[in-house]
Amino acid sequence: MDISDLKVSNNPDVTLVTYSLGSCIGLAVWDPEVRVGGMLHYMLPDSSISQEKAKANPAMFADTGIPALFKACYKLGAQKQRMIVKVAGGAQLMDESGFFNIGKRNYAALRKMFWRNKVMVAAEDIGGMVNRTIRLNIGTGELIMKVSGKGEGLL
Amino acid sequence: MDIESILKDLEQLPPFPTVVAQALTLLDSPDSSAMDVVKVVQYDQAITANVLKVCNSAYFGLPGKVSSLREAVIRLGNKQLKEIILTGTVVKYYKNAMEGYALSKHDLWKHAISTAIISRIISKRFPGVDEGAVFTAGLLHDVGKTILDSVVDEYFNQMFALVGEKGYSFTEAEQEVLGLDHAEIGARMGELWGFPKEIVHAIRFHHAPPEGDESDLVTQVVYLGNVICLMLGIGVGRQGLHVRGRDEILEQHGMDINDLQVIMAGFLDEYQKVQDIIDLG
Repeated sequence: MDISDLKVSNNPDVTLVTYSLGSCIGLAVWDPEVRVGGMLHYMLPDSSISQEKAKANPAMFADTGIPALFKACYKLGAQKQRMIVKVAGGAQLMDESGFFNIGKRNYAALRKMFWRNKVMVAAEDIGGMVNRTIRLNIGTGELIMKVSGKGEGLL
Repeated sequence: MDIESILKDLEQLPPFPTVVAQALTLLDSPDSSAMDVVKVVQYDQAITANVLKVCNSAYFGLPGKVSSLREAVIRLGNKQLKEIILTGTVVKYYKNAMEGYALSKHDLWKHAISTAIISRIISKRFPGVDEGAVFTAGLLHDVGKTILDSVVDEYFNQMFALVGEKGYSFTEAEQEVLGLDHAEIGARMGELWGFPKEIVHAIRFHHAPPEGDESDLVTQVVYLGNVICLMLGIGVGRQGLHVRGRDEILEQHGMDINDLQVIMAGFLDEYQKVQDIIDLG
């Protein structure tokens, strides 16, 4: 998957991978009942900076990408109350005053939406100055996270 | 491997292709014609082939396929032609995977071309900045990594301890452990290749634009282009985002986090068009 990309699948042989998240957020969802899962790699918190771009590519923004990811999973038979939700990314530069901190805003946008829509997060690894890659196995729901320079493990 | 042998290796650095240097000079000269450029470049087949591939990428957006150097020269302006020739030339320095920085094949090239494009987008907000210099410095800013990689690999644990425990940026850790950072090595390469001073300066200070020097626009733009590119996760490797955020550069130019977002969104449109340029790497 690329930056500002969304993919869903019900094929148990598929592994969705999103590389090198930086300050972007990788959101992985999976329904164990029907073994449907999906991943979103969004870049920015809020589509108000460009409605036109959000229309062309909803996966660019949290506020348009997150609903699109859930809807795409529902189409394949997933149900919200069964879905296991995991989040990674949102890293930041070394910048105490937060002038550059888009990662934090990306995460805050997701939290706000989840709180409003009563979505629980099962696991997350957010912030810091590290770069993350995540892989979602559609057959098992396992989410592997690799942190550059530090190795990988289950999230 | 240590820094002394790296500096010795640098003495053996292959020269920047003469034909390219000549072509770039010709493109800057008001007395030369486009055909003079063709005459110089056409004998280097590798460069000609790359130039045509770059011409035909979606990014440069020429309608129809450009099939000869002559046609490229006729259809493109000098400014664009310069960018294309440089892009087609510089790619060869970025060809290898780098163990030390944990960058796979293509990663550093992707980072270089993306930084050049982001920097060009940013330069629209810096009136008076030389866009061509910004693009070139963006392409070359990390070229020192290609030389420093093997030592970084060897001393990585020592460097990473400084980053993790003492709050060093990755570049500061390079300076402390190796005595020199990748930006300095890159600047020396630029000097050996005879690049203009402002480009060498931007390569040298792309992590730390001199404070109080508001006139140094090329360096500031490339600094911002590089950090935005890293935030987007393009060619980051294991240095991660251990790079200093310099708030005052945004402030000096009346920019804030919303401007960064607009730049990122604008870049993404371009990014989708550079895939075939990235594939050259």
